[in-house]
Amino acid sequence: MISLPVVLATAALLFAVGVYGALSQTNAIMVIMGIELMLGAAMLNAVGFMRYAWPDAASGAFFVLVVMTLMAVEATVGFALVIAAFRNRRTAELDDLTELRG
Amino acid sequence: MSNWTPFAILALALGGAWAVACVEQAVAGVRVAPALVLRRAAEQLDQPLAVPAGRDAWLYHLAPPLLLVAAVVALATVPWAPGFRGVDLSTGAILFSAALAYVTPSVFMAGWGAGGPLAVLGGFRFIALMLGFAMPLAMVVTAVAAPAESLRPAAIVEVQHAVPMVIVQPFAAALFVPAAMAVALLAPFDLADATTELEGGAFSRYTGLHAGLIALARKILVLAVAGMTAALFLAGWQGPLLPPAIWMALKTGAVVAGMLWAGRRLPRFELERLLVVAWIVAIPAAIGVIVLAGLITLLFYR
Amino acid sequence: MSDLATALVFWPSAAIMLVTGLYVFRTRSMARAGLLLLASLGIEGLVFLSLASEFLGVLQLLMMSGEMVIMVFFMVMFMADPGGLMGMDMTHDKRRSAAVAAGVAAALGAVAVATDWPGTVVTGAAPDIEQIGFEVMGRSMLSFLFAGMTILFAMVGGILLAKHGGRLGIPAPAGEPRDEEGAP
Repeated sequence: MISLPVVLATAALLFAVGVYGALSQTNAIMVIMGIELMLGAAMLNAVGFMRYAWPDAASGAFFVLVVMTLMAVEATVGFALVIAAFRNRRTAELDDLTELRG
Repeated sequence: MSNWTPFAILALALGGAWAVACVEQAVAGVRVAPALVLRRAAEQLDQPLAVPAGRDAWLYHLAPPLLLVAAVVALATVPWAPGFRGVDLSTGAILFSAALAYVTPSVFMAGWGAGGPLAVLGGFRFIALMLGFAMPLAMVVTAVAAPAESLRPAAIVEVQHAVPMVIVQPFAAALFVPAAMAVALLAPFDLADATTELEGGAFSRYTGLHAGLIALARKILVLAVAGMTAALFLAGWQGPLLPPAIWMALKTGAVVAGMLWAGRRLPRFELERLLVVAWIVAIPAAIGVIVLAGLITLLFYR
Repeated sequence: MSDLATALVFWPSAAIMLVTGLYVFRTRSMARAGLLLLASLGIEGLVFLSLASEFLGVLQLLMMSGEMVIMVFFMVMFMADPGGLMGMDMTHDKRRSAAVAAGVAAALGAVAVATDWPGTVVTGAAPDIEQIGFEVMGRSMLSFLFAGMTILFAMVGGILLAKHGGRLGIPAPAGEPRDEEGAP
């Protein structure tokens, strides 16, 4: 009963939740959380393809490994930016960090 | 894994927790009274729940079950005998690390959920400690799995039929045992919730059923960590004369007694010193242990 | 896993994953937001397990707990109202972002349902950990090296960004509070 469209639709919903979070939150850390949800949805897509379309391809698993690594990397760099912003501007709210706005 | 495995694991969890409590009594020098342990546990479960006022209700009530689930899953991955290997997953060693990784969120939830400042501090101290110690724990498991060419704990036990891993990779054991003691909330690493620090720390605001669940979960954690140490480093159920299960029980009991005795003997370490050791010494040493494990695998185990 | 077992694990896990993911952004307490994200991505690990990816599921469970604990740590450090007790609303453009999210979900869902996927027979044998290991160390070794180097650069860059005085290492002046718009 669970087939590839079901898994992909679930991943689409998770991606949408991540998009909602990344767009609607003002704090940088919450935006990072939205991006993590989006990357999680991408991983779910890869696992779904590996299970239902190409069961012999271990490169799907490797893709998931790389995306997990990227989640950690993105969180690292994001938190470093938040620390730097907080140290200089005393705020991590994206609405206040508008110096580059054209 | 047969259909009886979950029940066997639950029975082992309850019985093992009671045995660990008896070993605690013996190590403390008190006369071992097995029935007294059960009676005290029943009294504690009888106490009414007294929830603190400033609590975060969801986190406060969800922390003890999470700790218990983490402890039982960690116990389930330990291989006890050739006929009873727990949940015999091919990635069992990683499931062990994953289950232990959920001890940190549950201690944090307990501290934050209780709402008092000292409880929150206890939770954050434990996070700081475990962030440093979680990496050596997972890396050493990788190093020990290398000679076995498998992450299945039963395979790691079987590859030690000639020589126990603690002799082949002593540095791995030296890194694993302190990290395992820290994650099992054992002294001398019990910064989160020692009775003399921070008024009891993260778990201090629990009474009744919650406190009983937490005590049970902590004893199961000690058993799981000791069992995995015996399986990964002391050659598990391998041994000359006695049946395999007896060997495993003896080795696990020895490790439990050793860990509890070390807790009573050694003074509690300072957080700053532990963090310095964890980040500056232990993580590079763990990387070195992995490289060494690769060399040893190529030279001796092929 | 049999079909029934798969369905029994997949449907509740997927539902909890989506609901907790949504509540991450609707809760006021920051500790709860981090732990809800842990629940969501950790249960995604259970979803992976139900889709017969044993190694990836267990790895997801392992990594998410560490990451989310760090995230909660940072949130309590840097956010204005970590307990959520003062009722500040930390969102902007809620309706527009919900509309964009709904549009994205509709588009991706339409692609998922309407495409004619190759009808492979589900053999039930996903790549096990040994095959993944050979893949990582063999054909995908170059990507693996680049991923490792990316982590290294991110770690070094992150530390440089977060240091006092940036990469020049100028220590912070002692005892002088900076004002709101303060330059270093």
